[in-house]
Amino acid sequence: MKTERSATASHAEKESGEPHQTRPRDLLQNADLLELLDQLYLARYFDVRLIKEKRRGRLRGTLYSSHNQEAILVGTLFGLRPDDWISPVHRDMPAFFLKDIRAGWDNPSRMGMSIGEVCAQVWGKATAPGRARDNWSHIGDSSKGIICSTSMLAGTIPVAAGIAYDFKLRNQDSVVLTYNGEGSTAQGVFHEAINFAAIHKLPVITIVENNQWAYGTPVELECPTKDVADRAKGYDIPGLIADGQDVLDVYDNTMWAVERARAGKGPSIIECKTFRAYGHGDHDDDRAAKYRPEDEVGEGRRRDPLAVFKQELVKRGVLSQDDASKYSPEFKNAAETTDEDFPARVVEYMKQGVEFAISSPLPDASEGTMWVFAEENR
Amino acid sequence: MTASATQSQPVNMLTAIRQAIDEEMERNPEMVCIGEDIGLLGGAFGATEGLQDEYGSMRVLDAPISEAGIVGAAIGLAMRGRPVMVEMQFIDFISCGFDQIVNNAATMFYRTGGKVNLPMVIRGPSGGYGGGGPYHSQQNEAWFLHSPGLKVVCPSTPSDAYGLMKAAIRDPNPVIFYEVKELYRKREIEEIIPEGHTVPLGKASVRREGSDCTIITYGNPVYFCLEAAERLASENVQAEVIDLRSLLPLDEEAVIGSIKKTNRVLVVNEASRTCGFAGELIARVCETAFEHLDAPPMRVTREDTPVPWVKPLELSVLPTTDKIYDAALRLVRY
Repeated sequence: MKTERSATASHAEKESGEPHQTRPRDLLQNADLLELLDQLYLARYFDVRLIKEKRRGRLRGTLYSSHNQEAILVGTLFGLRPDDWISPVHRDMPAFFLKDIRAGWDNPSRMGMSIGEVCAQVWGKATAPGRARDNWSHIGDSSKGIICSTSMLAGTIPVAAGIAYDFKLRNQDSVVLTYNGEGSTAQGVFHEAINFAAIHKLPVITIVENNQWAYGTPVELECPTKDVADRAKGYDIPGLIADGQDVLDVYDNTMWAVERARAGKGPSIIECKTFRAYGHGDHDDDRAAKYRPEDEVGEGRRRDPLAVFKQELVKRGVLSQDDASKYSPEFKNAAETTDEDFPARVVEYMKQGVEFAISSPLPDASEGTMWVFAEENR
Repeated sequence: MTASATQSQPVNMLTAIRQAIDEEMERNPEMVCIGEDIGLLGGAFGATEGLQDEYGSMRVLDAPISEAGIVGAAIGLAMRGRPVMVEMQFIDFISCGFDQIVNNAATMFYRTGGKVNLPMVIRGPSGGYGGGGPYHSQQNEAWFLHSPGLKVVCPSTPSDAYGLMKAAIRDPNPVIFYEVKELYRKREIEEIIPEGHTVPLGKASVRREGSDCTIITYGNPVYFCLEAAERLASENVQAEVIDLRSLLPLDEEAVIGSIKKTNRVLVVNEASRTCGFAGELIARVCETAFEHLDAPPMRVTREDTPVPWVKPLELSVLPTTDKIYDAALRLVRY
């Protein structure tokens, strides 16, 4: 996996005139680092649990696993403020509850969705944020700064630009983070939105999760440049490259782009290099085993984000070797893990969400024709 | 607000539209206009003339040529509670923003379970008869009428355009606003717009009363229908002409009420025939008023072709007074 920084990647250093002396990660306390670790466990466990539920036939819709890509979600969201907005897409389900989770996992007034709401969405219940009118990642909540996306990938970036334009009109220094795969950077609307955001120096940060595969098409057939981040050159904006397996590298790059955006200097693209663990969706696992070479998959999954981070914590002395090996879901497929591989806090949290989902009612059939139009005039 | 042109002297449709947008911009400081060449230039046709001077380049925003990006940005602004006016330089170009309109804007309120509504108007010059050719002559409302979640209007007079524009901007839903560009500067239809004039969405207007047949239409063909009705009168045929003004919501009561009186219906519009709104109207009439019909419903529409450029070709495929007159005679003589 490529982790070296390209010419555009050193934009941060170029602009400040010197390499980072203090990196954002250096300001994190030990408690923050341990919280980051728990969030990585939580994102992994959420995915593992849903894969198991899906295989038991308990869920509808397609599961787009975020396995092996959790450091991107955790690392990009960790430093955001409650007033910032995000637009997750299909492979980012944990983002909905990870947003503002630092305000307290069970804090009902935090600016993110509760684990219960997210599980209710997956189970298709009336308590889901959109009352289960579209599946899985297609949920939003304007009161919590989450844009509801569509299936047309990259289609949410112009919406993010519109929200960022509103921030500019209000002199508000909030930012919007949009998530996309590398495949959707080929969409025309990706260009239209980033072009617009760059012209007006809007606080939009586009997180490109480059997992090397857009469904069944490899990245070299989606993008002509060496790095997807090189697309930023056309807009004269920073194109950063982060190691998507390293939560701290993702965090550093995000915070740099976020602070820059808050200062009115405009958008950035952050390409997070990663690798898709399974098929495109759970329907594609068997076929993916055929179209993706086995050695490429092995190499791509060699650096599990949990292992990478735990190694760093042990090196720093934040985590003892014993504590590091106490829970070890890393390098395991969902089916190979058990609840004992995860901290009790994480298992309990998810359990609470699943129980809420299961005990929630399905939407009444009469709702099918409701809410096509809003009634009240403004 | 710039000096009011309305309320004292007759204005054309373009001025009426400009005035309505201006007044709404003044009424609601949150409102934003976005489109290609709408600021510095004041719009290709001048529908936003002077607005950037009045409200600044932040609120009257010149956008790059990016219809999908523009509509998407408007969705974001509307999501933050701002009414947004989006100009399509020609309504033909709306196809470049199609996905954002039909998959994103139209469905947002539904997908969020009634939580996120989008107060936005997408407006632009439409229609043929001006020699615009295939890409500057479209009347493509059927695409959007077929996408639940969008309202669609198409006025034919300055005062209706003014009133409906205000209603559309204040509506909490996305509205596609068709402005017949051949009517923009038509002298004969200029009129004084009374102060505080509004037109609600979903109300048709009876433009001529009659008892022998009902002609349902909207946009530019309203005038061809009125001309045809005058000629029909000399044949002792009294045609009632209904200008729908709003296609969705539709004033079904006005349509059905008239048909119950005349027992014959002709639908006229300038969109192509197959799966066009004329067909939908006729289907509804058959469903709800079949027993009141003394003749099969008829329609005069554009042929199922693109709109060709030069005059003889263009008129050969679009509805004309002659075609409407002939159809109405066939209808009453059935």
